[in-house]
Amino acid sequence: MHQLISSFEGLQGKVKGINYLNDGVVLVDTTPNSLFDVVNFITRELKGIFTVIIGVDAREIDGSFHNIYVFSLDELKKYVLVRVMLEGSDPKVPSITPLIKGADWSEREIRDLLGIKFINHPDPRKLIVPESWHDGVFPLRKEVSYKLRAHGPYEPYQPRRSEDVIALPYGPYHPLLHEPEYFELHVKGETVIDIEYRGFHVHRGIEKLGEARLTINQIPFVAERICGICGYVHSVCYCQVIEGAAGIEVPERALYIRSLILEIERIHSHLLWLGVACHVLGFDTGFMHAWRIREPVMHLAELLTGNRKTYGINLVGGVRRDLKEEHIDKVIKVLNEVKEGYTKFINYLTGVREVIKRLEGSGLLPRTEAISYGVVGPVARASALKRDVRVDHPYAAYKDVYFKVPVYNDCDNMARLMVRVEEVFESIDIIKQLLDKLPKGPILAENVEVAEYREGFSAVEAPRGEDVHYVMTGKYSRVYRWKVRAPSYSNIPALKVMLHECPLSDAPLTIASIDPCFSCTDRLIVVDVNTGKRFKVPMRALAKGWRP
Amino acid sequence: MSLYKRSIWVFHLNTGGCNACDIEILDVLTPYHDVERFGIKLVASPRHADALLISGPVTREALPKVIDALLAVPEPKVVIAVGSCPISGGIWYDTYSTIGGLNELYRILKEEYGINEPLTVRIPGCPPRPEAIIHGVALALGIVKQKVKFNHIVIG
Amino acid sequence: MRKRLQLIKEALSIGVVTRKYPFIPAEVPEGFRGLPQFDASKCIGCTACGNVCTPNAITFVDDTSLGIRRLEYYLGRCIFCGRCADVCPTSAITITKEFELASLNDRDLRLVIDIKLIKCQSCGRYFTTFRHLNTVAGKLQEGVVDLVNICPECRRKLALDSLIKLGGLK
Repeated sequence: MHQLISSFEGLQGKVKGINYLNDGVVLVDTTPNSLFDVVNFITRELKGIFTVIIGVDAREIDGSFHNIYVFSLDELKKYVLVRVMLEGSDPKVPSITPLIKGADWSEREIRDLLGIKFINHPDPRKLIVPESWHDGVFPLRKEVSYKLRAHGPYEPYQPRRSEDVIALPYGPYHPLLHEPEYFELHVKGETVIDIEYRGFHVHRGIEKLGEARLTINQIPFVAERICGICGYVHSVCYCQVIEGAAGIEVPERALYIRSLILEIERIHSHLLWLGVACHVLGFDTGFMHAWRIREPVMHLAELLTGNRKTYGINLVGGVRRDLKEEHIDKVIKVLNEVKEGYTKFINYLTGVREVIKRLEGSGLLPRTEAISYGVVGPVARASALKRDVRVDHPYAAYKDVYFKVPVYNDCDNMARLMVRVEEVFESIDIIKQLLDKLPKGPILAENVEVAEYREGFSAVEAPRGEDVHYVMTGKYSRVYRWKVRAPSYSNIPALKVMLHECPLSDAPLTIASIDPCFSCTDRLIVVDVNTGKRFKVPMRALAKGWRP
Repeated sequence: MSLYKRSIWVFHLNTGGCNACDIEILDVLTPYHDVERFGIKLVASPRHADALLISGPVTREALPKVIDALLAVPEPKVVIAVGSCPISGGIWYDTYSTIGGLNELYRILKEEYGINEPLTVRIPGCPPRPEAIIHGVALALGIVKQKVKFNHIVIG
Repeated sequence: MRKRLQLIKEALSIGVVTRKYPFIPAEVPEGFRGLPQFDASKCIGCTACGNVCTPNAITFVDDTSLGIRRLEYYLGRCIFCGRCADVCPTSAITITKEFELASLNDRDLRLVIDIKLIKCQSCGRYFTTFRHLNTVAGKLQEGVVDLVNICPECRRKLALDSLIKLGGLK
């Protein structure tokens, strides 16, 4: 820790102060003018990887806006938070997007929600709020009510595209499954040149809701509903932040139960992804088999927690539901069956030549680009980047178990598949180790008191990668600011690189390979810019090599 | 009620849900539950569908698209609302970025398009179990009876 | 090719896993969180469940013109977390395993419980339910029990007055 602090000495005069939020998190204060130097120092000298920017409307506390730039130092096992205070009446700060590509979304988000100006930001369009949202209304500012629905008439999204490309809209309505998201693929001939993204159809105002209506112990239940597939990750991460900020000792047994459920969630999520990936490839048999193997895991989750998906067992200070002795044997039995069926299935899958040929060499994401975009989870690990929060910043009971982090150097879709395949085996192993060592004792801390205006920061390895939460606590057991950065937020912008110069028929697979929860049966509208002719193509036909 | 004598085709529309309902809907199609037993099948276009399956609280960004899809489903149509979000807006019923569920959507449809509320099956749950979704669809098909009913109790 | 044929063999050996629901009832594991059941005869209208409810599925409204406290439970907003049952002091709410909750209209998803309110003996305003008061009174020592019929504001005034009378405050 001292080593890290002394390394900042070279920046004298530019850094105003260094504090610890908790054991693994360092908070560095600086000014807008020195921001570039500090960021450059962290990314180049300390090998920090950009995570997210957190905007806080702290005008009630000290009359200013805070921008907190988060970097993960994987080698030193630390997070560095660089805080910049901005003038309350007219907040502006230089954009760091020219330095770090991954900061693009974070800056646009803060501009939309908090009204902070980013000087020299390359993209002036809205990201989070709908096109119809009134200019000058910033929902995360404290004076704006969480109920305010400041909508004007509907304005369709205007993508940027040049004249000589064909634009393929991907979404926003996926006629079959999953979330509404809108991609536009710019195509020259058969090759994808660029990608435009307009998502945030699912923006529900969760952060504002947590800050306005809910109490500290209600938020775990909302956090769980951020994502329906890996929601437990969010509720664990939120609880860890509050526990860290308030110094609450969580009983060991509760930590073990959390880790256990997290791993069950990872197994079902990876199996789900595997099924969807097979479906995208047109290998529907694989889809059905993957989901057949997955179903007993869902039954297991239901048995242990009371619900198949939204487990609802987390509270600040521990868990609500204990693991019964008689369930342990059942867990082991089911996992052994799953492992057996899964091993056979993977054996078949990797024996199907067409599947392998489609996966190998497509959707390349080189290591340097992976660092620049700050990608996380299996996407990073498939690009030779050994990042895993469970190892880099241990939490819950992961310090007590031994497991391998699969890393592949191939940077392609096959590598991303293999990372996930191996992780399922590792997860099964972790669960067995946890059950072996499961300590006895209470499951919920007794004294849960949270002081006001404390800051906390924590990360959890979700099935899709690093999930990050930041909380500043408020008065009357509420939170003042709650910021969530889900893993896909870092991974989706990297699609720009993965899809560059890739054949059109590989695009659906590559988009699915980062696991942003997309269905393969999506439909595309192909618009030929020159003739204005429109074709509607099912994704599946495109995946099989459709051409105009 | 039995609107449909034969198999119903369903168009699935996520209006901003968290995916939990969506993966349960997908689960209903896979080997353990297999709703194709009843001839139920997901289709790729609302114009081919008999029923519109809605999950999610209807976010503002999604609203115009939801209305388009709803209008594209031919009559007679059924709306199947899966989960607490579409029924009432769920946890997010009063936030800035959602409209607060189907009741509000139907009000907008009535006021702006003069369309009455279509027949709607509401399946509460967060998310509903796959069996609960089958129960809801079976209710629309007239195979099972509705179990919940309104209750008003006065106590001293 | 041979591998793919093996897959067919494997699928045949696994057989049919499809469950017969809805023609035979579904298995629900012990501890599944389904429909919360309200036992109105036990409810005292203390509003604890309403305070803890994350999606505001349980709401309380005091109607002073009718003299009732109205508990409204909206199944269509419930997230089935079971926190209400955790905090209920009289165990009036129990979490059942019931999950077949589909309804063809919105009204059937609602439950309304009206609980009579009681007036403060000092200022005459409604302040809590009769049942709540009875439960609290049962837990108190003698001597303070007669203060129970008075609303918190009046009680504060009364306490202050008696202190002044005792000469503790001037």
